[in-house]
Amino acid sequence: MAVSLTKGGNVSLSKEAPGLKAVLVGLGWDARATDGADFDLDASLFMLGENGKVRSDLDFIFYNNLKSADGSVVHTGDNRTGAGEGDDEAIKIDLTKVPANVARMVVSVTIHEADARRQNFGMVRNAFIRVVNQADNREIARYDLSEDASVETAMIFGEIYRSGPDWKFKAVGQGYKGGLGPLAASFGVNV
Amino acid sequence: MEITRGQKLKLPDASIGGVFDVIIDASAPGMTIDKSCFGIDADGRLSDDRYFIFYNQKASPCSSLSLADGAFKVNLSTLPPTIKRLVFVITIDGVGTMSALGQSSFRLVEAGVEKVMFPFSGSDFASEKAVMVAEVYFKDTWRLAAVGQGFTGGLSALLKHFGGQETTQVVPPPAPPVPPAPPAPTAAPKVNLSKVTLEKRGDSRKISLAKKSSSVPIHINLQWDEPNKGGEPAAKAGGFLSGLFSQKSSAVDLDLGCMYRLKSGDMGVIQPLGGYFGADSESPWIRLDKDDRTGAAADGENMYVHRPETIDLMVVFALIYSGTARFSSVNGRVSIKDGETETEIRLNNPDDGKRLCAVARIHSDGGDIRIVKDELYFTDHKACDEHYGFGFRWVAGKK
Repeated sequence: MAVSLTKGGNVSLSKEAPGLKAVLVGLGWDARATDGADFDLDASLFMLGENGKVRSDLDFIFYNNLKSADGSVVHTGDNRTGAGEGDDEAIKIDLTKVPANVARMVVSVTIHEADARRQNFGMVRNAFIRVVNQADNREIARYDLSEDASVETAMIFGEIYRSGPDWKFKAVGQGYKGGLGPLAASFGVNV
Repeated sequence: MEITRGQKLKLPDASIGGVFDVIIDASAPGMTIDKSCFGIDADGRLSDDRYFIFYNQKASPCSSLSLADGAFKVNLSTLPPTIKRLVFVITIDGVGTMSALGQSSFRLVEAGVEKVMFPFSGSDFASEKAVMVAEVYFKDTWRLAAVGQGFTGGLSALLKHFGGQETTQVVPPPAPPVPPAPPAPTAAPKVNLSKVTLEKRGDSRKISLAKKSSSVPIHINLQWDEPNKGGEPAAKAGGFLSGLFSQKSSAVDLDLGCMYRLKSGDMGVIQPLGGYFGADSESPWIRLDKDDRTGAAADGENMYVHRPETIDLMVVFALIYSGTARFSSVNGRVSIKDGETETEIRLNNPDDGKRLCAVARIHSDGGDIRIVKDELYFTDHKACDEHYGFGFRWVAGKK
């Protein structure tokens, strides 16, 4: 049974799933039921060193850079509407291949053209992030953001980080002013 | 506290208890905006339509939710536990879209003190005709969300959103969006004793009420042919089962009826089923003369509209009450006489298998009324109602 986290909560992935090697980080939200522009949410992942910054711009995994240089992180592609059951966007992480100098991987979601479309996370229903064990497709942890999402247009949903030899997952649910560009810049990406 | 679209808060965090008023101020020049509240279950459905509070149903059975003087009174503590979400909605009755809204607001007021205000205006919208303004919902605790999203399809789209697929009824056909009435073929014919045929769906004709002599009601007549007269009726195709079911269908009983909503807000259904024949001299000032069970009566079934100026929307329908549901076999036709002009509507695009045909829509148009040929086929009254958005409650009936 997956661990259901609330904002700020964390769980040891390694303890929940002993022998864990690879995870899938799934992100989902409901397609817009009302009339108006679709909700196009974009998931991104930042591979960060101990200093909280990317080692290079290639550590910014997003719709225009779907794979990390070392191949440990793979973004499975862009979903433009949120239509369909289950994960709308997914990022696969081979934890055994993540370089030792990567301490954290921050997963964020931004709303594409949020300002022009006058949208924010509070208008999106049933947004979630979940971590799945790739070996058996079992969900290890889930965080439902619905009630923590409000007028933000960019949000850090969660992060996967090292804790000694283990990997942990934290439900962050933190809004960020500005869109993907400023968010990336805050992690040291040259945008 | 002022909130913006998308914002959410826990009621206790805003020191709001369980008893409060919701006041929505929304208006636009020349538009009629109705306010309503949907009490929704955990699955997002209006599973109990007594919790749809609007001008024609002003209080829920538990009295926890009511509408008075334009304000909703809410008592969360006495709501049944099945109601998890109260969605406050505005809808446009008639022409116009939400983009025309002036500065508007949703206010939550407790004991006379404004606790939360959500301002919105036409610039937040485009062609929506129904908007979910805000919702009060239970998730661990009672919360408030400023929604500000809606539907161009208006109230009927909204009703669908709140549980279209919950009934076991066959879903109505994807009703072709009723095209806007074509520009009236300039100046209604001045010729008296004229006959106008509304040939295609969406064709319409305006009836000037200024000229109408008040003593002569508008006369709506339905006629059809008894299919047996021409030999083998309906059921040819369809094999064993349809043959079995159609054995007793020799007599087709076609009923004339209407669903109406008056400008006063009164609404109802007039039809032989249930014995709702209306009234000549009191609301709704619409009367049905008789129930012709076979099509044999020379003058068919007749409905008289005495006070057309009171009509907001009237949907004239023909219903196959008994016999095989085959409109193609009965050659139905409706004529609408106003004074000396007769408007004829033939059911020339029959959809066999559906029992109810919404033949024409009569709606107010400025100070006058307009007749629009719809000829839309529905499985039953409920589906028809959902299309037009009256919001009646339906139970099975038998003559």
